[in-house]
Amino acid sequence: MSACAAVFAVSCTREPSTRASTLPRESQLNQFLADVERRALRIAEIAVRDRDEALDLVQDAMIKLVKNYAGRPNDEWTPLFYRILQNGIRDWHRRQKVRNRVMVWFGRGGSGDDEYDAVAQAPDLAGRTPDEELQMGEAMQRLETAIQALPARQREAFMLRTFEGLNVAGTAVAMGCSDGSVKTHYSRAIHTLRDKLGEHWV
Amino acid sequence: MNESRENKAKELFDDSVDRLDAATLSRLNQGRHAALDALQGSRPVGAWGRWIPATGVAAAVLVAVMVVRGPNAVDLPIVSVTDFEILLEGESLEMLEDLEFYSWLEASDLEMNGNVS
Repeated sequence: MSACAAVFAVSCTREPSTRASTLPRESQLNQFLADVERRALRIAEIAVRDRDEALDLVQDAMIKLVKNYAGRPNDEWTPLFYRILQNGIRDWHRRQKVRNRVMVWFGRGGSGDDEYDAVAQAPDLAGRTPDEELQMGEAMQRLETAIQALPARQREAFMLRTFEGLNVAGTAVAMGCSDGSVKTHYSRAIHTLRDKLGEHWV
Repeated sequence: MNESRENKAKELFDDSVDRLDAATLSRLNQGRHAALDALQGSRPVGAWGRWIPATGVAAAVLVAVMVVRGPNAVDLPIVSVTDFEILLEGESLEMLEDLEFYSWLEASDLEMNGNVS
């Protein structure tokens, strides 16, 4: 399916930069990527539970966007970028499955690579009291754990809508599905998270 | 989950984004500039060219495994050449966008060949 064909009618909820249109193309791309890269990294990291892998996935997505879609209108870049990134994340999960299958075939069993070291991955702390930092960190860890337990499509819909702020149409382009599917996946994700997190999510 | 909880989730997420460490930000910066270099960079290797090394290595690995394991190996999950290619292929494959379809296609082939009991 061509991602471009589906993007024509999409307008993202993220605010377009009025300044961007006057800049050379490379500067516009640089500005766009600089704006999106950190959120994209965290979204990829939550999906694959590994920062290094997430960094590789984000860089691949940036390269493919620049190579293939630099000429597209700026307001199409966000859903296209996340479409590429989500495809990369799905490919990554598939390669992990195949790799595990090969390991079983060689008699090595499943790898322990999935273990997620929350302490090692914890970001630097700054700007809050230790108690506040601790509370925020714990709350985010609970949220991440709950998100990681969601089915892949629900996880995609939730993170693209809530974290990246894409509207339904933009999320549909990024996920390669219909608006109705996005609403369904998102609604189910919300209900599951509400049930799992309950009163802890305050 | 109501609106306030979604906002809380967004706040937690944004906070984790703001607290990314300097080393990670540096790697993101490097990745971005590497991507922008592609704007004037060389043309990518053709599709066929990309497959040649992966297919060659996959075939070599398969032959090596067959020689080492011999004909009396116990039954184990079938690993196809395609699996090795996927492992060795760094680029994402467009066909993988629709995995459910390919799973269905594979199941249909098995049924047609009478391999499913």
